[in-house]
Formats: sequence, C-alpha cells, structure tokens
Amino acid sequence: MGSMAILLAALPIVAQEPVRNPHTTPADIEQGAKTFRSHCAACHGFAGTGGRGPNLTTGVFYRGGSDADLLRNISDGIEGTEMPALFYSPDRVWQVIAYLRSIGSGAGKVAGNAAQGQKVYASNGCAKCHRVSAEGGRLGPDLTSIGRYRAAGHLKQAIVAPNEDVRQRYWFVSARKGSQALAGFLMNEDTYTVQFMDMNENLRSESKSDLKEYKVEKVSKMPAFKLKDSDLDDLVAYLASLKGGSR
Amino acid sequence: MKRLACAVFLAGHLLAQVTYDRLLNAEKEPGSWLTYSGRYEGWRYSPLAQVTRENVKNLKVKWVHQMPTTHLVETTPLVADGVMYVTEPPSNVAALDAATGKLFWRYRRQYPPKINVCCGQVNRGVALLGDRVFVGTVDAHLVSLDAKTGDVLWDVEVANYQHGYSVTVAPLAVKDMIIVGIAGGEYGIRGFLDAYDAKTGKRRWRFWTIPGPGEKGNETWSGDSWKTGGGSTWVTGSYDVAQNLIIWGVGNPSPDWNGDKRLGDNLYSDSAIAVDADTGQLKWHFQFVPHDLHDWDAVQVPILVDDEFQGTRRKLVYWAHRNAFYYALDRTSGKFLLGKPFATQTWAKGLDPNGRPIRLPNIDPSPEGTYVWPGVQGATNWYSPSYNPLTRNFYVSAWENRSVYRKGDQEYTPGNRFIGSVPLIELPDEPGHGAIRALNPRTGERLWEYKLHTKPWAGVLTTAGKLLFGGSDEGYYFALDAETGKELWRLHTGGVIRSNGISYTANGKQIMAVAAGSAIFTFELP
Repeated sequence: MGSMAILLAALPIVAQEPVRNPHTTPADIEQGAKTFRSHCAACHGFAGTGGRGPNLTTGVFYRGGSDADLLRNISDGIEGTEMPALFYSPDRVWQVIAYLRSIGSGAGKVAGNAAQGQKVYASNGCAKCHRVSAEGGRLGPDLTSIGRYRAAGHLKQAIVAPNEDVRQRYWFVSARKGSQALAGFLMNEDTYTVQFMDMNENLRSESKSDLKEYKVEKVSKMPAFKLKDSDLDDLVAYLASLKGGSR
Repeated sequence: MKRLACAVFLAGHLLAQVTYDRLLNAEKEPGSWLTYSGRYEGWRYSPLAQVTRENVKNLKVKWVHQMPTTHLVETTPLVADGVMYVTEPPSNVAALDAATGKLFWRYRRQYPPKINVCCGQVNRGVALLGDRVFVGTVDAHLVSLDAKTGDVLWDVEVANYQHGYSVTVAPLAVKDMIIVGIAGGEYGIRGFLDAYDAKTGKRRWRFWTIPGPGEKGNETWSGDSWKTGGGSTWVTGSYDVAQNLIIWGVGNPSPDWNGDKRLGDNLYSDSAIAVDADTGQLKWHFQFVPHDLHDWDAVQVPILVDDEFQGTRRKLVYWAHRNAFYYALDRTSGKFLLGKPFATQTWAKGLDPNGRPIRLPNIDPSPEGTYVWPGVQGATNWYSPSYNPLTRNFYVSAWENRSVYRKGDQEYTPGNRFIGSVPLIELPDEPGHGAIRALNPRTGERLWEYKLHTKPWAGVLTTAGKLLFGGSDEGYYFALDAETGKELWRLHTGGVIRSNGISYTANGKQIMAVAAGSAIFTFELP
C-alpha cells in the first residue's frame, strides 16, 4: 500500500516533465562522437550505420526512442541481447545520445514519391527476386522492413551499383554434380559442405567432395538498374517507406 | 582388520587428493587430466594410445553434458579420480561423473549487474589442488571450492571489476599456491600475475607486468601511461619445475590501437615472462612486439621442451605468436634462438639477431585505416598449441586473415573501453580462412597443413596414438594423422568449438572430451 502511494505520487511528475537531454551543444556532440567511436562502433559501425548491432541512423530505436529510453539502454545495457552496460556517467551518455540524434536526424527524408515508387518497383520486375509482405520471390533479400534498417543513400547504391556491397548470403554458388549444373545463392558453407538456394528456390545441401568446378563468387546477381533520376528517387522513397514486420 | 580398514580408508582418501606430487608426475597418470595443458610443460599431449590412427574412425559419442548458459564455452575440463570439473560461463563450476556425465554438484555464482569484459563472459577452466577446486570469476575474484561438495571455502578479490579487471584464465596450481592472471587489456588496467596461498586465499606475491616508477622497465612508458598500460595475463602459462620458473604470456598494451601517449617499448606487454615461483621475481623476459599497435597479445601457452637445438641440448620454449611468427627461445635466459613466420604477415621485414621485429613502413593504424596481415585476432590466439614427443612436432591452429587497423583519440575513464578507435576486425568480403599446421619446432619449417574454410578458435590436442584432435567454428571435431595431417575422423557437434580438447580414461577406456556449443562432448571407441 505504501509503495502504491509513492507510485501514484510520482506518476504525474513523470508525465508532466519528460526527461530531456541536457547536453546537446556542438561540443557535446563532438565528445559523444568520440565516445561512440571508442565504445559503440565495434558493433554499430564507425558511422553508426550498423553491423553486429543495429543501424542507429534511421531514427528508429526498437527498444524505445525517447531520451529516457536511450539513457537507460546505453547505461544499463539491454538484457537478453549483446548490448552491454557502460560505466560512463550520465553526462557522457547524454553526449552519446546527442551524437546519435545528430546522425539520425534527417534520415528517412527522401525526395521521391513512395506511391510512384511502388509502380517503378512493379514495372522493373523487382518482385521476381524480392519479397514484400510475403509477396514476391525469395532469391534476393526480403524488403518488407528494409526502410527500418537501411538509410536512403544505401538503398540507392544497392539499386544502381549492387556489386558495391554484396552480403555473403547473396554470394553466387556454382558447380557441377555429375551431369547436372548447380547454381544458387550461398546460405552456409563449411570445410566439407555447402548449403544454398538454387535458382528455383529449392534448398540444397551438398557435400563438396561430390562437386566439380565448385565456385563461390562474391558478386551480386542483381542487375545494376539504370533508372531515370525521378524513378530512382521514387523507388528509394518506396523502399524507405517499407517498415513492416513484427520486430 | 581395523588397521586394514583404516589403511584402505587412508589410501582412498589420499588418492582423492590432487597432491602437488601428482601434478609434478602428471604424465605417469594418463587417465587423468590434472592441469589446463595436461602437464606443466604446456604440451596438451595425452600419453594414451588406445585410440589409434587405425581405429579412430570408429569413435562414437559417449555422453554429452549440456550447460545452462547462453555465453560462449571456452573451458578445458579437468579430470581427477573419476570426476570431471568444468566451468560453465560466466564463472560457474560443475562436477560430473567422468564416466557418465551425470552431475554431482554445481557452484552458481551471484554476479553484480554490470560486468564489462572485452570479448564475452567466458572462462577457460579450473585448477585442482588437494581436495579443492579453484576458479577465477568475471567479477575478478578467485574462489576456492570443496572438490566433493562445491561449497565455497574462500572467495578473495583479485582486483576491482568496476575498473575493467576480470578473471577468465584457468588458474595453475604450483606447490601450495594458485597462480592466476588477469584480463582487461581493453580497459586500461595495470596488469599483473598473482600467486595465492591455496589454503587461505592470502596473496603470496604479485608481479606487475607493467613496472611502476623506480622499477626496471618503467622507462619504456612515457609519462603516466604505465598506470593504464594493460599487460593482461589471461591465458594459463607453464611451469619449469627444474628452474622453479613460471613462464607466462603477457597481453597487449593499452590503448590497443593508439600508442601516442605510451611512447617506448611498453614492457612487459606482448612478452613472455619467467618469474620465480616462490617470489614472483622476474628472471627473464622476451618481448615479441615492442610498442604494439595491433593488439597482438602474447597470450599463447608456452611449450617447454628439452631437446637438441642446432647441435646443442637446450632448455627451450616454443611459441607461435599472434603476430604470425613462430619463435624458439632459450628457457634459461629468454634468449632468442629462432623466429620464422608460420602464417601470412605484412608488418615485418624479419627479425633481427635479438628477435626484435624489423618493421615495414606504413603498418601503423591510421584514421583512414591500414590493412595489415595478420588481422586483429592474430595468426593464432589463446587456443592451445600442442607438442607431441613422439613426432617431436609442434602443432598450431592458424589463421590467414587481415584487418583494417584504425587509430582514434582515446581518454581513460575507469571501467570503460580504452582502445583508441575500433578496427575492422572482420572484412565481410574477405573472411580469410584457417588451418591446422604442423611445424618442425627446431627450424620453424612447415611440415603439413590441414585447411579449414573458416578460422578456428579451437586448440589442438595430440596423443600417443599419433593423432591430433582439433575443432572448428563450423562445429566439427576432427582427428588427423599427426605425422601427415590426413583427416581420419570427424563429427559434427552442431555448436561452435571454441575450446581445447583433452583425453582421459573411464573404466579403463580412453575418452576424448571437448566443449562444443554449450555442451561437453565425450567420445570413445565402441
């Protein structure tokens, strides 16, 4: 009963005055960047665009995006994930948050028109290989929630120059097994075996000792699209708007 | 009758004691595995020969012990008197029936909420002495447990975990002492090697791996940089009984990738040190990488061998270092005898007559990034090498890889990372690969290699059956012919193997054991 009273007494104060970051000057942002690079960049990338940890430049934070949420998650870590706790004082964490806001602001703002972009997506046959909300092919990455993970610039690059950044999952496997030619996208490989999705979306697992001319190419099988600037902007806008999924 | 019963009781009681004498003569009881590397010389060699090159293909799983943990398992099991002692990360301990894997007891530690260890809340195993088990903890304590019950006998603080210190190393029992090292080279610790009284937990000595003012070697650190100089000791060393020397590897200087504020050689970081077991006084050292800027810790198990070397019988140390060079040192003085790359490296033109690297230009970390072989995790790392006295060969898990080394600003704040920017450790387009390599340790010449698609974080074990057992991140545990490198057996465990194997006997039969995934796997012949 006593604790209930305290809780009730505390609630209105929290509601009226949300926690705000008190350290947002350019000097704070600069110091926050230094702290970020020495402590956070190992997982979140040097520029915060993600790696082992999520991309922090999209403005979307899955575990809560308020200043209070970020202060808590950075200071205490996130249980059940690889995100560790920090021993920095709150001041230092606030500076990191200021830096995160500086790299996250403006992300997701794109020039094109998403509705038009959906048409560009359809007319260029993207759905042959990509899936959005369980519709489309499986050879390329599922794009249902790509707008959450990728900044607009990265999306644009992936369309016009797909070979610039080919994730290992999409490296191209080819081999001969007896008289049969095999080809597909790498899913897993070890010293003795390989698992891949073939061009008909069949899951295959082969022993390397059964294969001849076995090759893994670090190239994208996605064509480099040469679109009109306006179509490209629209397509990027469409992709950036895809924020579905249950995560 | 009474006297006989008493004698039987006494014998049984004495047998269940892991005396120092048993540790000294470990090779005489091949059915046990009493120390981290199996014997003081660090060989990770089993004198058992029931499993041979002919019958190894019949090895089958005997039992599996699953651990209630989500952390990486790096433990080396110890086996004495029918009981297997394993650590379960972070720093718990389980005692199992070595014949069946059934649990006798488990020590569950209570952990503080915030623990910062650079590379996972891991533990590499326990030490045994008398009727006690000793374990280091991620919150930087050393704990003595009753070997029969798991009850805590004492629990002492080694260092303040809130300042980035942790204990992940398997301690080493020597005489009536427990030798324990410290981790925290990414947190600006000041490293040391400690000895504790096994009975009381009282500290007997501490050797600071970063010398303080007035001590020899302090002049190799500019300004106050020695205070936060790193020099961790997180992999179990070896013990030279005849010389009474503990020989141990020292980790990287801090901050790892920016040396601007720690000008000088930064002794004894990245060094082999030999200290007197009774006093902790330094007898000799050999620094593999003066003023390291690449995080190339000397955290490998020193292999101590007495053998003919260039026509003279010598006391030797064999050492394949993270920096991609294999070294042979004289164990009486630390004198450099031989050094030769065992993996691709692009940082040194070679080694001078004293073993000091002759660095190539443009290898230092830079703001824009510098490509260097080997990568940050080295050409080998903490996982154990092996020496086989029958083949007289040295065996090592090796990596072929490079990283992008970056340099950035760094200021010290207690308990937080102190590394000087973050390198690109893994290059997604260029994952590199691994291998098991056999070297002639007297020349550094490569005798054979067994290629792996991925880079192994598992050590190697060799046996008197002239077999080598190794593992991979792919989850395979495999056996090779130690003379040729030919694969003779493999089994997919379904979990990454980031540990070192052992061999022991139960009911008179040879068993191979290794941690894989979150489990201990054991194998035996049908």
